[in-house]
Amino acid sequence: MNRPIAALAVAGALLAQPALAAEGSLVLYTSQPQTDAQQTIDAFKAEHPDVDISFVRDGTPKIMAKLRAELEAGAPQADLILIADAVTMEGLKRDDALMAYPGADVAAYPEGTHDPEKYWFATKLITTGIVYNDAAPFVPASWEDLLKPEAKGMIAMPSPLASGAALIHLQTLTGNLPQGWGYYEGLAENGAVAEGGNGGVLKAVAGGEKLYGMIVDFMPIREKAKGAPVTFVFPEEGVSAVTEPVAILKSTDNPDAAKAFVDFLLSEKGQELAAAQGYVPADPSVAAPEGYPARAEIKVLPFDPAAALAAEEENRARFETIFQK
Amino acid sequence: MIAARPVRRPSGLREGRLGPGLLFTLVLVLAGLPVARLLAQALGGMDGAMALLLAPASLEAAWHSIESALFSTLLAMLLGGGMAVLLGLSDLPQRRAIGILFVLSMLIAPQVTALAFTVMAGPASPLLNALGLAPAAGTPNPLIGRGGVVLVLGLHHAPLVTILLLAGLKTIPDELAEAASLGGAGTGAILRRIVLPLLYPQIIAAMLLAFVAGFGNFGIPALLGMPAGYLTLPTLIFRRLVGSGAEVIDEAAILSMLMAILVLVPAGAAAAVLASTATRRSSERPLRRFWRLGPWRPAASAAAWAVVGIVLFLPLCSLLASALAPTYGARLTLNSATLGHFAEVLWRQDVTVRAFRNSFAFAGGAALVLALVAVPLAHALDRAPGRVRGFLLPLVELPYALPGIVLAIACILLFVKPLPLLGISIYATPWIILFAYAARFLPIVLKAPLAAMAQLERAQEEAAAVDGAGPWARLRHVVLPALWPAMAAGGLLAFLLAFNELTVSALLWTAGTETLGVVLFSLEEAGLVSEASAVALSATAVVALLVVVIDRLGDRLPEGTLPWRF
Repeated sequence: MNRPIAALAVAGALLAQPALAAEGSLVLYTSQPQTDAQQTIDAFKAEHPDVDISFVRDGTPKIMAKLRAELEAGAPQADLILIADAVTMEGLKRDDALMAYPGADVAAYPEGTHDPEKYWFATKLITTGIVYNDAAPFVPASWEDLLKPEAKGMIAMPSPLASGAALIHLQTLTGNLPQGWGYYEGLAENGAVAEGGNGGVLKAVAGGEKLYGMIVDFMPIREKAKGAPVTFVFPEEGVSAVTEPVAILKSTDNPDAAKAFVDFLLSEKGQELAAAQGYVPADPSVAAPEGYPARAEIKVLPFDPAAALAAEEENRARFETIFQK
Repeated sequence: MIAARPVRRPSGLREGRLGPGLLFTLVLVLAGLPVARLLAQALGGMDGAMALLLAPASLEAAWHSIESALFSTLLAMLLGGGMAVLLGLSDLPQRRAIGILFVLSMLIAPQVTALAFTVMAGPASPLLNALGLAPAAGTPNPLIGRGGVVLVLGLHHAPLVTILLLAGLKTIPDELAEAASLGGAGTGAILRRIVLPLLYPQIIAAMLLAFVAGFGNFGIPALLGMPAGYLTLPTLIFRRLVGSGAEVIDEAAILSMLMAILVLVPAGAAAAVLASTATRRSSERPLRRFWRLGPWRPAASAAAWAVVGIVLFLPLCSLLASALAPTYGARLTLNSATLGHFAEVLWRQDVTVRAFRNSFAFAGGAALVLALVAVPLAHALDRAPGRVRGFLLPLVELPYALPGIVLAIACILLFVKPLPLLGISIYATPWIILFAYAARFLPIVLKAPLAAMAQLERAQEEAAAVDGAGPWARLRHVVLPALWPAMAAGGLLAFLLAFNELTVSALLWTAGTETLGVVLFSLEEAGLVSEASAVALSATAVVALLVVVIDRLGDRLPEGTLPWRF
């Protein structure tokens, strides 16, 4: 075989690969704990071995600060974001930072779990409820129980300045509990500590330094299975919920691979992985993992995303004045 | 640390100016540029400066920084001073082992020590639980908050005090103690009337340097202070910057200037005090260990070992227990112990594996570059006119004397816009971290070659010059052979410090350039305490291995190069 023909043969072999095979590199900004983010990426890579994907992990507000600084500098590092809540996604959509993915297959998902214009897609249902250490003097059943004198100085909670879920939780509870902001003032008076994100709450309650906490469901449910002395409670009034949506950034230079990643998260396999990691999958046909009540029994408190987006800064500032003296 | 200034002799050689000129430009770029940029920013943003500095949050953080540095200095002086007296003046058994282990505890990264103490002290402590001593659930962790910050800073910096005081003891002539002893003075009297007054400069310098180290520390108040809302200036700046992004960089610059001023006064004073004693040569016959412990020997030995246990073995054991436990808070038993967290961080997690690679690359790259320029630079500095030396030597020290967070802010300011002429930006690339490391650790690498240079006989070089050897030939054949062990040790020490580093990279990292310090901190924040402990232990194992390698070079180095040899 002479050289030009050999070259043609090689080119032909390359062209013969399926046209949609994703390749190249991707950067994911996420608020998932490191171990979960790594598992998600590993599972995606098993299906798309030619995509080189890496992630950066931090709490939603911090990862957003990083992303916004990069957007302003005109050099966003991320191709994809997978963060706590849809309100933040709405903010990015409003600022024209996201790319729509009209081809995404959302047949399995009820309306409201994704953006109607397909800019972002829910991947899970993560609720915030109460965690207690098994050595605690009483078992909490209601949000009101955290105001009891027996819990004084024994409460840890995530700060909305460090956690996206905590901000939604704040907006949900103040909008639904009869005392509104008074509830958070009561928590502060009862000595609740709000420093850092949900990971810090888990550490404090699992470590027995605090006995009660507000926390996202999957952390204590998962750690309990590994032997940590913690139990998660769905309070009787109901819980707040976020959906850990994924979105593609408009600035990505690898939209095909990014779409493949979204496809993977929304696929049955991706949803089963979420369940295996201890999350309630967003796809209602995929069963929730052990440790959760039936989906229909989880009472999610109502929440107004538009109002939340408008009042975001104000709510954070008000929280700060209550909790940081 | 402040390098001892070698005694200057008049130069007999006249050289071309190109080589030294280039080298001095390098110093100006590495050390001068970031500091000048920070100064310009802070002066430019003066309008709101007073309001910001007087804001309650800034004042409170400044006070926390000062009080934690002060109280931790007291603790470090007590502990480090006691150790110095026992090691340097008494007939304590197993002195050498105790001394080495005590000083090595300083080489464990501050964030690693802090993590070890948090997991050791709370109700979930695997160690205390195994002994049945753990506080009841619901008891706050006694080490979270001010007390913990002060205690761990004090323990961490005590060896620094010991090193300085031991060096000071070596300059006291034995004749004085002997004469006093013949005159009937007891051990206590010699200590009080002879040793203490002569050691006064080193005591002052040790206090000032322990204060500076405590004031600028980030890892310890980040892990022990922030969870309780006890913010110091470095953690306040860090929290503002990661919380709000680049828009608060002006604020950060002004707070950084405040920190720089609060640090440079004591650091400068310490340098001046040490310089004033530098003319005093090591005594011909240094002080003997005149303090016979007699019946107190077992008690003193037990106390010294207890201190080593607290600063070195206890933290390492507590990290090991926490890394082996199935999850934080779960009981560690023979059956529940798992190596899974080590497998997770050393093989499975791309981020932690990458962080090991990055820390090796950044620390190794910076150390290599610095080691390569160290010999010609030490040579050029030694031969430079007094005025040039007087300006450049303190400038070289600046990026190390300043708190890491201040240097990081200076680097952000310097590189956030594309470089002039080149039009490319090194912000958010590995190069910004490499630059910062090179600036920060230049004085560490330069210290030993400078000291060795001062000892080098100039006659050799002059003889080579008479034989017609040019400056580079002389550098290669005369200076380099004499200085290479010092260069290698300096490079390895810089590697050690950079490998452990968190403060600078905490602000400069981006996707793909995470360092070990950064992933440890981020795992801890995400509540993955067992994984963080596994990272901490693995990184410490690398450090321990390196110490052994560096120690092998020890016999060929000028005295005082290796902190754990005395």
